[in-house]
Amino acid sequence: MAHEDHDVIYDLLAARGVSRRDFLKYCGSLAAMLGLSQAFVPEIARAINQGAKLQPAVWLNGGACTGCTESMAQADSPDVATVVLEILSIDFMETLSMAQGQDALDAAEAVFEKEGEYILIYEGSVMKGFDGNSLRIGGKTGLEELDHAAPGAAAIVAVGSCAVDGGFVMAAPNPADATGVQMYLDEKGISTPVVNLPTCPVNPEWVVAIVVDVLLLGSLESGAILDKLDRFGRPKYIFGQTIHDNCPRRGHFENGNFVSEFGSEEEALGYCLYKVGCKGPQTYTNCPIVRWNRRASWCVEAGAPCIGCGSLDWVDVGAPFLNRHRDLPLPNVGNTQPGVIAGVVAGVAAAGLVAHGLGMKATGRMDGGAPYEEMKEHDRKRMKKGGGK
Amino acid sequence: MARQVVDPLTRIEGHLRVEVEVNDGVVTDAWVSGGLYRGMEKILLDRRPSDAFFVAQRICGVCPISHGHASTMSTEDALGITIPNNARIVRNLIEAAQYIHSHILWFYTLAALDYVDPVKALSADIADTYALAQAAGTGVSDFGAVAKRLQAFVDNGQLSIFTNGWFGHPAYAEDMPAELHLIGVAHYLEALEMQAVAAEIIAVMGGKFPHFMTSIPGGTSFVPTENKLDDILFRFIKLNDWVTNTMIPDTLAIAPFYAGALEYGGGHGNFLAWGVFNDDSFEMNNRYLPAGVIKVADGLTVADADPSVLSEDVQRSWYESASGLHPSVGEADAMFDEYNTEARYSWCKAPRYDGAPMEAGPLSRMLVAYLRGVQPVQEIVDGALAALGAAGRPEVLVSLLGRIAARNLETKVVCDWSLEWCNELIEAIAGGDSKYFEPHNVDEGMGAGLWEAPRGALAHFIDIQGGKIDRYQVVTPSTWDCSSRDDQGVRGPMEEALVGTPIIDPERPLEACRIARSFDP
Amino acid sequence: MSHPAHYREAHPFIFVMTHWINLIAMVALAFSGFYIHYPFFAGFMGVARGMHFFFMYVLLINLAVRIIAAFFVKSATRLGSREVDTDIKNWLPQKLNRHQLIPWIKYYIFLKKDHPIGAKYGVLQKIAYIATVPLTLAAAYTGFAIYAPVMDWAFFTAGTDAVGGPMNMRIIHYYLMWAFILFTAIHAYLANVEGFSPSRLIFAWKEEEGLQFDAEGKIVGGTEH
Repeated sequence: MAHEDHDVIYDLLAARGVSRRDFLKYCGSLAAMLGLSQAFVPEIARAINQGAKLQPAVWLNGGACTGCTESMAQADSPDVATVVLEILSIDFMETLSMAQGQDALDAAEAVFEKEGEYILIYEGSVMKGFDGNSLRIGGKTGLEELDHAAPGAAAIVAVGSCAVDGGFVMAAPNPADATGVQMYLDEKGISTPVVNLPTCPVNPEWVVAIVVDVLLLGSLESGAILDKLDRFGRPKYIFGQTIHDNCPRRGHFENGNFVSEFGSEEEALGYCLYKVGCKGPQTYTNCPIVRWNRRASWCVEAGAPCIGCGSLDWVDVGAPFLNRHRDLPLPNVGNTQPGVIAGVVAGVAAAGLVAHGLGMKATGRMDGGAPYEEMKEHDRKRMKKGGGK
Repeated sequence: MARQVVDPLTRIEGHLRVEVEVNDGVVTDAWVSGGLYRGMEKILLDRRPSDAFFVAQRICGVCPISHGHASTMSTEDALGITIPNNARIVRNLIEAAQYIHSHILWFYTLAALDYVDPVKALSADIADTYALAQAAGTGVSDFGAVAKRLQAFVDNGQLSIFTNGWFGHPAYAEDMPAELHLIGVAHYLEALEMQAVAAEIIAVMGGKFPHFMTSIPGGTSFVPTENKLDDILFRFIKLNDWVTNTMIPDTLAIAPFYAGALEYGGGHGNFLAWGVFNDDSFEMNNRYLPAGVIKVADGLTVADADPSVLSEDVQRSWYESASGLHPSVGEADAMFDEYNTEARYSWCKAPRYDGAPMEAGPLSRMLVAYLRGVQPVQEIVDGALAALGAAGRPEVLVSLLGRIAARNLETKVVCDWSLEWCNELIEAIAGGDSKYFEPHNVDEGMGAGLWEAPRGALAHFIDIQGGKIDRYQVVTPSTWDCSSRDDQGVRGPMEEALVGTPIIDPERPLEACRIARSFDP
Repeated sequence: MSHPAHYREAHPFIFVMTHWINLIAMVALAFSGFYIHYPFFAGFMGVARGMHFFFMYVLLINLAVRIIAAFFVKSATRLGSREVDTDIKNWLPQKLNRHQLIPWIKYYIFLKKDHPIGAKYGVLQKIAYIATVPLTLAAAYTGFAIYAPVMDWAFFTAGTDAVGGPMNMRIIHYYLMWAFILFTAIHAYLANVEGFSPSRLIFAWKEEEGLQFDAEGKIVGGTEH
């Protein structure tokens, strides 16, 4: 680690009004997020200071709304400019690239030639509908683009729920046959490791944490990153606990203080949103801790129940979002609340019991039951046939 | 006759292909192709109307607030709900924050690189840059630090998002000084900060941005406490300062170098606005930016906008359902055969108003507001026209430069209003109004949410039966602007605007990209 | 009318106790479970959750006790008899029930006039009672799978993933409670529709005279009442 490199980064930081102290503080918060002890702070600082060579990367947009790109623009410390100018060299990114048309595609192609060296960041669903033509880029299908880019990547970061499992685009009836990156690669037999970062959109803080973890701490080369992923390829330090576990309104939940109507005094008091459909108890993200938009707020703090956008298949398992339970898609009936189904079944059962009771009454069995048979029907039939023992 | 293709058109939301025919340095024909089909309208069927708000806003990650509001308004229209006054103001504020966010992001992050060449900025003299910034009345940054950062970046040789940019393209104004390029680069970086400040307002009121949470049918689930009001107000003040003292002066400083762009890029000259930002009458014509239609045949005059005369043609796009239907009864049955500019070539349908293609966007809104006599709009537009040497000639706005100017001027108008609305909300609360949500229990009806995204007129149509969505259709601003040809072969607004654009270097049609991008597609 | 005699040998005291505990635990679990699903009044969530977890353990321990006791405690082998054998034999197929499934069904849908001969528990009855064991275990499993302290154990996540996530698991848990409610309703109805002596025996341990049966299911005495 050459001394000059330190100077370069500190000059850059100073130019942007960031003191050495601020910088180390930031490294400290990153360490906390990555689950490292504060002893790693100098390590992280050193890693970020490497400076000289930027990690080549390509950001592909699949069936995206561009919300994850938008969300990345909300990152701070390091902000998006630092990420794209001083940490990653994102040589192709549809929403930010200066180049256009074929020249932009050529820039991506030059990166793809550096096999095993680049990071592929994928935003949006993988669009399989109409033989991949539900997404067309540069005269080709989005699938061709991904097929070409994925095998040579050192790792793929799937940003946002769409890239993880198809997101809302794959919600029933999945009109464009959308899927997630990992699922698509599995189909194709491409074994590039995938880090999944769900929620809609992705929270930029998580992307930054992964960038630091993978690129700067070298956890990809060492393989350490894979140990940090859960069974869905999500970093455990981000997606290991539910929103409910860490919610600032959890106390109100335990006390039984709930918001029953939106926009009410109960909301002003910050009561729990469980009754109005909060999906926090089954949504695994650290939103209450990391928060959103430079920690300005997050859904629950703004008075909105969590809709579980970080869950797999989040629309189908979460809708109706303002109800406690999801709907169940009944054939010929359509989406129905589980409680309604239970009520109908219980009603039918109750009616059946009443009807049966009337039958018992009519047949005079109510008082002690019918007379007992002399012998089992089975035995009687056998005797009639003349057989039997 | 040479066909030139730009695909993908970068620095926009989504996937767009622009194909132009260039003859003798001028675009003579154009085709614009939307590259993505997701089938949102089918995903919403059989779900709850309140779910539409959460899902439909995800059509667009840059303008989710407007889609969310249009969706929620369509449900409220269908069920006959009038939202409480406080909810109206809260929604206006969230929408305003998104407008400011979106316009800053568009001008600096997406569009500026078509006019500002970062390589030219390297030769700027730092002292002269300060002098120029002061003369132009624009914001002063640490230009020396920016230049140093830029130099370090270029020396590194890895150009990241600038890789393969058309540096030194002859269409960059030759006489624009290096110092102004450096100011542009410095403010490009500052704008990244400012758009995030605007997004923080949405986070406070809506939970997060992109994709917010609170404007559910019936009002809002956000209840502003003193702390939260303070978080909102100081950020609006900060944004207003920056837009007033940096974004507007930048626009006026750069515009004269591209004055030629007042001469082309206007397109059909038909404009549609549904209007945005309700006042307490909830009337479309009384909105702060009101609804209206301008038809080229009638000159620069405004008529009331009528949602019943809409139709969507699909014979030139990849749909097999019936063509020419009103969106409230339309289907969106997709198919794909091939990309063929003579037949079907886009996932964008061709929406028409009374049979005519319509431009949607800030230019439509500002022209309609100007003609309807909205005072702050008239003042700022007249001021800008005078600065461009076109005093009293609002018709020059029907051009590439006019479209850009309209967007940036609108940013300032919305900033002013946002402060007004903050005070209105504070006064309402102080006056004891604490109602934010109107409970409702009707579960049948048809409705429309007619609204404006930053990039233009937006309509959501919903049909609710038995508490479930039976039909849902959306007409986005990008389908208006990026419309394919209609069944009669009439070009869409962007296609028409491209025709007549001068192209210096047909291999690198930067001017065509500027036109396409000016719609903020 | 012909009602079998109800003797204490049918339900030894320990089973009267386990039945009571089951009843109390299930009512507490159903009530607190409904409340946790949707808190229909304020201020009770902590208590409801406490109740739910406490009675969940009560129910599981009670189930274990009941099963273990079945191997050690003797109970009547048939209706209207004081003849006893190890209780677990009543859980297994018994000679008196052989070939009686169809007659039982016919009896309940009024296609058969006379009462089928049966062991202590008729065929359908036995199936239903034994089914409560896996039902209880399934309710416990699905409950643990959405219970924060243990939901991340591989044993539970395997199930959660298989059913498509925690929301689906929650709904299955919810439906299992409905299954118990339906069971209880049908159980209470069938047990008492022909007279309340079964309830007097299982709740108050009160005997009642009636018909007595021999090992072949033939009436050998007793009184009509």
